[in-house]
Amino acid sequence: MIDQRIYEMFREIGQSLYTHTMISSHGGNLSIRLGDRVVIKRRGAMLGCLKPHDLIETRLDKNDSGVALASTELLVHRTVYLNTPALAICHCHPRTAIAYSLSRDEIVPIDNEASYLLKKVPVIYEEFASGTPQMANKVAEVLKNYKCIMLRGHGSFSTGQTLDEAFFWSSTLEEACQIMLFTKQVGEPFIEYRTNSENYGKF
Amino acid sequence: MNGWNGRILEIDLTTQTHKSYPLDMEMAKQFIGGRGLGVRLLWDMVGPEVDPLSPENVLIFTNGPLTATGYQTSNRFSVSTKSPLTGTVLDANSGGYWGMQFKKTGFDVLIVRGKAQKPIWIEIKNSEITFHDASELWGMRVFELTEKLGQDNNKRNVLCIGPAGENLSRLAAIMNDRERAMARGGPGAVMGSKNLKAIVVEGTERPEIMDQERFKFLLYETRKLLAASPLTSQALPEFGTIMLMNIMNNVGALATRNHQQTQFEGAEAISGETLSETYLVKNAACWACPIGCTRISKTEKVEGEGPEFESAWAFGAQCGIDDLAAIIEANSLCNDLGLDTISAGSTIACAMELSEKGYLDSDLRFGQADALARCVEDMAYRRDLGAELTEGSLRLATKYGHPELSMTAKGMEMPAYDPRGLQGQGLLYATSNRGGCHMRGNMIGLEVLGLPKLIDRFQVQGKSSFVILNQNSNAAIDSLVVCKFTNMGVADEYFARILGAVTGVQYDTGDLVKTGERVWNLERLYNNREGFTSKDDSLPPRLLTEAPTDGPSKGWVSQLEPMLKEYYRSRGWDQNGVPTPKKLAELGLENLVDPSRTLEKIA
Repeated sequence: MIDQRIYEMFREIGQSLYTHTMISSHGGNLSIRLGDRVVIKRRGAMLGCLKPHDLIETRLDKNDSGVALASTELLVHRTVYLNTPALAICHCHPRTAIAYSLSRDEIVPIDNEASYLLKKVPVIYEEFASGTPQMANKVAEVLKNYKCIMLRGHGSFSTGQTLDEAFFWSSTLEEACQIMLFTKQVGEPFIEYRTNSENYGKF
Repeated sequence: MNGWNGRILEIDLTTQTHKSYPLDMEMAKQFIGGRGLGVRLLWDMVGPEVDPLSPENVLIFTNGPLTATGYQTSNRFSVSTKSPLTGTVLDANSGGYWGMQFKKTGFDVLIVRGKAQKPIWIEIKNSEITFHDASELWGMRVFELTEKLGQDNNKRNVLCIGPAGENLSRLAAIMNDRERAMARGGPGAVMGSKNLKAIVVEGTERPEIMDQERFKFLLYETRKLLAASPLTSQALPEFGTIMLMNIMNNVGALATRNHQQTQFEGAEAISGETLSETYLVKNAACWACPIGCTRISKTEKVEGEGPEFESAWAFGAQCGIDDLAAIIEANSLCNDLGLDTISAGSTIACAMELSEKGYLDSDLRFGQADALARCVEDMAYRRDLGAELTEGSLRLATKYGHPELSMTAKGMEMPAYDPRGLQGQGLLYATSNRGGCHMRGNMIGLEVLGLPKLIDRFQVQGKSSFVILNQNSNAAIDSLVVCKFTNMGVADEYFARILGAVTGVQYDTGDLVKTGERVWNLERLYNNREGFTSKDDSLPPRLLTEAPTDGPSKGWVSQLEPMLKEYYRSRGWDQNGVPTPKKLAELGLENLVDPSRTLEKIA
């Protein structure tokens, strides 16, 4: 039985993802780690309006009947939990960040907040992208060193101690990408205001 | 060698000899330094047959690869030993300048064995070790002694014990740089039992840094993050840790009158805000620290460091006292005599309750501000009732037939945060390897301060995951060694990166947390070997059965049992709280356990 407090946390963050256009109606997923268990969104459920039965609890280290109901990205979530200290994962489809991921191997923000917090976001690619062990291993490997990463043309994975924190990293990335886009539209020369910004790419 | 000096200094007080030898670098990479390296060495040196106050116990002083590099708060150092208060594994760490200076002598570790025939003090000037007669210094208080031995913050630093350590108080601290303390668990008594009054260090060697350019970049970025965090740039410099007094009182988690209540009507009078408006002279900082949380306070009788939140709480809310001047004076007296303020205050509170209920024949009562200084003095010199108080509240309450009135976990007095209003904090206390301690994991960050984000403080399901991550993470930070307050502005990933830049050994965040997990599990094995079992992962009955009748935590008791079950499972331990062979193999600890003894027997 999943605690009402945990359900409410999922519902609030899921709703925020949808209203901030970080996902489509049925896109994205959220999970938390409870020791040797994972609580993850049900496959096909709408993050924007989660019901208590939309949360599936399953084992972290091996399959049980929960896998029949869990999100298709369960393997990625499990692999990340087994290889990093993460206690929560947010996977969403931030549109501007996806657009930038199509043309670069890393996203280095230019706004102040994301420069402080993210420094850079690696972009990774795997042909068999959805729910495969190859993708799970690749995502987990990069998330060992970064709180937020992009899958080219797909979306972001971000981690934290709480869902709130994991959402925060993806949201910060999307905001940073929107600012980069607006800056391009403004089209005026960029005035560098950050000491050491040349090192962000090496972070 | 980068980060680490690569050398251990071992001193035998019995023979007054010393030797130095290389640090096992594989061990160093696995345990880093500080608390981690300390417990690894202690595991080999001090077994269950050793009495904590016997010459066979050791004091292991350790710094870490970041110490003295100039990275923010890289001033700290650690001591590991077997605790005379609890009988558990013990580490205590401290800031100031001594740790930085010790690193500059060229050693990573100082092991002190044996017992001197008469009082001595030791001087370490780089590789030159000198034993001095301390007969005339025996009995001297900390402030006078520190000055006499030539304390000079950036050049020469004094670590010592006061009368409490000499008199083998189980609450005795090791003091350094006049008013910094390695206080918890009684390490000062171990030093006193060895007839060792002081260790003075002077060093000129600077640690080498592998990647200077990356180090400078991360130093700069850390400075920015600390400046951006309101906790590290405003709250701590302006109010110090005592800012927590009103915060904890407002959420109904400020233990009051020996944990009989969870809110104190006099909290405002002993708060950080009141301190700033009355007795505060200025703030101060440890070496290489941009935060500056130290308070310098002055009353008619004393001027000096403190009080920290926990000290103000122990002598304040816990004793039902709202006289801030009396609290500052008791705190200063503890520093001068070399006593742990938390355990001292909470033991006095226990005696007050025993007296009020008629179990102890004494005139102590809650709210008696003028009793504080007298009790503290008597504890340090083992005079009158002080001779019983100085054994700690569990021994005191047990002697008078009411051990349930001791607010301890594994025999160590718990700090200010009442677990009935903070479910995760209760689990943290119960499972802490050195006993009731708030520095084993920062659940206040998650449950009250919103670091990194706020979680529901009454939530039970899933709480163990947060506790475990924070215990592991804190064990890693204690092994670097840096100040945990840095972690209020800077995430663990920065620590992993700076460790890589300094040592050239690449750690990712997971490696660092895994190191913390290794340290935690080895500490657990140590305690299991000493005879501690799952029965010792507990809290005083009051916190499990007596709910507050008013305030924001009204109706709540600690839900320890379900959290503990989840905790063992999530830790990869068996239902008796013993690390499984699979977990030990995962952490590279399997070879430390004697194959002739099964883990079940150890438990």
